[in-house]
Amino acid sequence: MQTEAAARICFFMFRWIEKFERRSHAFLAVVALGIVAIIGFVDFITGFETSYSIFYLLAIGLAAWFVGRGFAIFVSVLSVVVSLAGDLARGEHFSSPLIPAWNAIILLTFYLVVVWLLARLRAFHNNLEGQVRQRTAALTEEMAERERLERELLEISEREQRRIGQDLHDGLCQHLTGATLAGQVLEEKLAALNLSEAADAKKVVEIVEDGINLSRRLAKGLYPVEMEADGLMLALEEFAATSGELFKVSCRFECDSPVLIHDPATAGHLYRIAQEAVGNAIKHGKAGSILIRLDASEESTMLSIKDDGVGLPEPLPKNRGIGLRIMAHRSAMIGGIFKVRRDEPGGTLATCELQTKSKPK
Amino acid sequence: MNKPKVKIFLVDDHPLVREWLTNLIHQQPDLIVCGESEDVPRALQKISAIKPDVAIVDISIKHGSGIELIKSLKALHPDVATIVLSMHDEKLYAERALRAGARGYVMKSETAKKVIMVIRQVLAGKIYMSESIAAVFAEKFVDGRLLASGSLVEQLSDRELETFQLLGKGYETRQVAEMMNVSMKTVQAHCAHIKEKLKLANAAELLREAVRWQENNPTG
Repeated sequence: MQTEAAARICFFMFRWIEKFERRSHAFLAVVALGIVAIIGFVDFITGFETSYSIFYLLAIGLAAWFVGRGFAIFVSVLSVVVSLAGDLARGEHFSSPLIPAWNAIILLTFYLVVVWLLARLRAFHNNLEGQVRQRTAALTEEMAERERLERELLEISEREQRRIGQDLHDGLCQHLTGATLAGQVLEEKLAALNLSEAADAKKVVEIVEDGINLSRRLAKGLYPVEMEADGLMLALEEFAATSGELFKVSCRFECDSPVLIHDPATAGHLYRIAQEAVGNAIKHGKAGSILIRLDASEESTMLSIKDDGVGLPEPLPKNRGIGLRIMAHRSAMIGGIFKVRRDEPGGTLATCELQTKSKPK
Repeated sequence: MNKPKVKIFLVDDHPLVREWLTNLIHQQPDLIVCGESEDVPRALQKISAIKPDVAIVDISIKHGSGIELIKSLKALHPDVATIVLSMHDEKLYAERALRAGARGYVMKSETAKKVIMVIRQVLAGKIYMSESIAAVFAEKFVDGRLLASGSLVEQLSDRELETFQLLGKGYETRQVAEMMNVSMKTVQAHCAHIKEKLKLANAAELLREAVRWQENNPTG
């Protein structure tokens, strides 16, 4: 109970300190002087038997913390003078004229010690704050740099994958096609000579044909979305069908009206987001049914992947965080907003929303 | 004198493929390669001059798409029978190519074994497609999805027809909504009804159907 009360007091104190920090020095100086005046007046009317020296500390503390050491010394001297003058003005008599002087010196010394302590504390506080700010700035910079690197990494891997995929598809596959044609020519020549080696030539053609299919499948994995604007719809449709078949779950793709994505890079990233989300739904979510949707509204184009699995675990394990972050990076790269949350009544809903940039004429 | 040889023109941007396809064709006593090109403009030029019997066309070629070339050939030289040789998946492109006017679609991975047979089949006036594509077509036919051209489109309401036409002209859903002065939700509802009435499986199919219909029934 006690610590709670102390904590509350500290809390309010800090709130007040914060409020004062925002005020100008001149205003705070006036407040400090005002406090000295009020306490001096109260001190004057209540007489010299009661000591108010501790209350002047409020003004001195204020001056020392918020305004400056010089002003605080001035307020200290002023407080001593005001309190002494008040006592003298009421016509108090001391047994020796040295006594008020002695009291004043004691009081002033006490005030000055307090001022010195507060000034040191303030300097230490400022120093600490500066350090914290510096560290925070360095940390923020490092985080931004890291994020930039992650994004760049993603971009590079995307670009390289697409390049390799295209090379496989347009280069190697065509080359192999030439090889099968050459093999076919050879087979027919051998067959015309009635040589049994014709069967071997035929086998060679078949082996190279398998090679073409193999590289096409590789290219498809590296570069899944065809260049045309309706490529994403087709790719997602095919992806939903193959995933459903492969993992024995219900995986559907829905798209009410045609959604065209004219930028192939955007289409590619949306496809990868869908791929990752479906992968997560099956691997981590243990989903039995997944729905991929592509919707367009006046303001935006939205890809959403919804499953009926166990939902996101709380807190997220490290390795899943990376997958989600990459999806968010992909969204950010194409100017979209990525969100993922537990869905009601169960499962996960991942969305990537792209704002429509310019209004169509 | 011998019967004149059947003239074949090749359009493909891979020299190795052109070279060995030529060699393979020249092994047949009655076929001859009369010219080749690696891009669309020169292909059109040469075909006009040479007037081949068959043109073998790749879908992804330099300066333009094979599909566009097929459409031009169909319009300008209807006597030239076109066969598509492509690395692209037949599931995605065969229908487009055949609708554009091609008489055959062969995947490049099967070209060596099939191309001569396909040339002969096309010369005999038949259309060639692989068995699996033929099966897909047959299924669509049975479902009534291949007949969308005339009668089914007539079932559309005026607003649905307008949506269908605008989509066919290449406008996006958002633009269609703006042009018809309705919300996108309304356009989406129209799309759902069109899909139902025309028995289309998905939005991609709806779009292709709309484009095809627009090409066959141009309206200003």
